[in-house]
Amino acid sequence: MGKRVLVVDDDPDVRVFNTTVLEEHGYSPEEAVNGEEALQAIRAAPPDLVVLDVLMPRQSGIRLYRALKTDPALQAVRIIVMSGIARASFLKSQQALAEFDGRPVPEPECYLEKPVDAEVLAAAVKKAIG
Amino acid sequence: MIRKLLFVTKFEELGYDAVKSLLSLREVSLEHVVFMYVIERDKVAFRRGVGYQKSEELRLKESANIRFIDWAERLFEIGMEVGVYIQVGSMAAEVAKAVAREEADLVVIGRSQKSLLEQFYSGSTVTELVRRLSVPVLVYKPVPDNPFAFGKPFQRPLLATDWSPASRRAVDYLIAIKPLVEEVRVVNVVDEERISGDSVMQAQLARKDAKARLEEICGRLQAAGIPARSHVYVGRPAEGVEKAARECQATMVVLGSSSKNRWVERWIGSVPREIAESSAFPTLLIAPERD
Repeated sequence: MGKRVLVVDDDPDVRVFNTTVLEEHGYSPEEAVNGEEALQAIRAAPPDLVVLDVLMPRQSGIRLYRALKTDPALQAVRIIVMSGIARASFLKSQQALAEFDGRPVPEPECYLEKPVDAEVLAAAVKKAIG
Repeated sequence: MIRKLLFVTKFEELGYDAVKSLLSLREVSLEHVVFMYVIERDKVAFRRGVGYQKSEELRLKESANIRFIDWAERLFEIGMEVGVYIQVGSMAAEVAKAVAREEADLVVIGRSQKSLLEQFYSGSTVTELVRRLSVPVLVYKPVPDNPFAFGKPFQRPLLATDWSPASRRAVDYLIAIKPLVEEVRVVNVVDEERISGDSVMQAQLARKDAKARLEEICGRLQAAGIPARSHVYVGRPAEGVEKAARECQATMVVLGSSSKNRWVERWIGSVPREIAESSAFPTLLIAPERD
């Protein structure tokens, strides 16, 4: 069984695309449709990698990213952010939240702005978890 | 408290300027805005010779998505939480589903673009929404006399009361958003028919009775620290409320919505619906308590 990758995206077409790419490269993809559902899944069994959308119902990827990076038990989970939201806005958002609660979080190791080619995604996943 | 707001738009009537004008709600706990665009089924429905218009659905969805991404970036950058729904279906049903799923505290929607005839046959979106939802619905519009500007809607609300339980809930609601409210004008419109007798006394009694009840409401608001004044008008309710809103330079009309069923409303009409659809002022409809 390949390394476990949790795909978090509310768009079913994107989830199908991502999971197909992951399966073709030997990973074991799992799915969540929003940040809330993803956080539950990650707490239950932390995956090797999360491919995270930002703009989603219930809980955004920004809040999920923050929840993971401020939780000592989960901050080692690797994350690739993959979103239509610009990286600059993501970073400004994290800064604004850090000013509010005094807990800065590191920048994402990898930020892919949609649309993303299959090869680009596969290369980013390989770089993150091998 | 208004923690989460569902902002429903078709883009032509409510844009980002409308969203921005509602950000004062952050003073009363707003932290999450959910954008929603509903593609009415008939826009993409199956047509003879064309079939289901999938490409049109995709075009509408992507156009909406691009707009929402832009709006979301601006809100994310100030530390707010944002979500998006883009759905195909019936407006009222999809909004009700999203409210339930998101546990939204307030729905903001633009004025209906349907003609009166269309509303008669397919129902008014506002009526349908209020019937389905227990959360308040703000039918949002630009400030009167300036179609290009959204003001501070919660600053000087005009509370139009008909003494119903929903009207009483509206008072509680205004107290809950007190930090945004500068002053409330409380108005009751006495129906002309009630004072159409020959006696002057009858008219004065109706006024006196209404004024006393309005003063009770003002007392509640004042006790909560909100300046309030009462006014009695006479005439058709919707017209009276509009006149009062103009004379008081109100920024919004607040009223309890009726609990009539949809067929009764369709046939004999509803004052809240009439005000929500035709008033020049943003209209906040407070639903009656659900069982």
